[in-house]
Amino acid sequence: MTTATLQQGEEALARFIRGDATAFADIVQEHQSMVFSIAFHFLHDRGRAEEVAQDVFLRLYRHLASIKSGDHLVFWLRKVTCRRSIDEVRKLPKAPPASLEDVAAPAAESRDLDPLLSRGLQRLVASLSEDARAVVVLRYQEELDLADIAEILDIPVNTVKSRLQRSLEILREKFHRWAGDVER
Amino acid sequence: MNPFEEKLRNALRREAAPEGFAERVLARTRGLPPPGAKAWWRFGTHLAGPTVRWALAAVAVCLAIAAGVVHRERQERLRREGEMARVQVRQALRIASAKLNVARKKVQEISQEPTGSRL
Repeated sequence: MTTATLQQGEEALARFIRGDATAFADIVQEHQSMVFSIAFHFLHDRGRAEEVAQDVFLRLYRHLASIKSGDHLVFWLRKVTCRRSIDEVRKLPKAPPASLEDVAAPAAESRDLDPLLSRGLQRLVASLSEDARAVVVLRYQEELDLADIAEILDIPVNTVKSRLQRSLEILREKFHRWAGDVER
Repeated sequence: MNPFEEKLRNALRREAAPEGFAERVLARTRGLPPPGAKAWWRFGTHLAGPTVRWALAAVAVCLAIAAGVVHRERQERLRREGEMARVQVRQALRIASAKLNVARKKVQEISQEPTGSRL
């Protein structure tokens, strides 16, 4: 989160306190990408991700008066989006283990930018357990450190660390198996 | 960050929200009470649904009718009590008048008798 973004958040909050009706619209514009992306990387379904993201902003609208600062706003949005996404995943019947067979092979070169590679990795992330998914999304989408993730998810830092290590092992193994199959 | 984590970071980059997302959120907030509204206000707003509004109107009409009936009965009772009091006052006056007449006759009789006869 850049300083400019935080300042804009502070400014929108200050305007809201002064009774400016357009302040909430600016807050949604500012943070919609973050909230939608967390939900999308959890659910791997754009429709359901939008539903979750809308719900998060409606909750924010009801709780806006209790938000104290730009930092608090971002923290609150990340926390509520993670919780709401976890609830959404738990509501659904267990999906079969993710298969990458229907994802086309990644391009041989410059894999970092290959959209198919990205899609494959996104599917793998969406196949992790809800708790592991939350840690991975906050770590690699939001680029948060372990202490921040622990605070958002309300768990000890060591738990975050172990979940992250375990998730990376699983992801790496599945990814290399998939990449190996493709190369053969 | 190792190369695999770098790939993961690229794959999990933020995505743009769908077109019109903010407008849809704002449209959904239009029916909600203003942020920070007091609990009683929210409760009042919750009560303001069409069915509840009709029920409240019906209750208000019933209360008004009941209040009218009670008021009318009270007026009627007061009128009856007033009438009864008027009858009682008339009767008391009649009795008092009759007694006075008797007393007046007695006084007249006494005053018309000759002085000697009284001795």
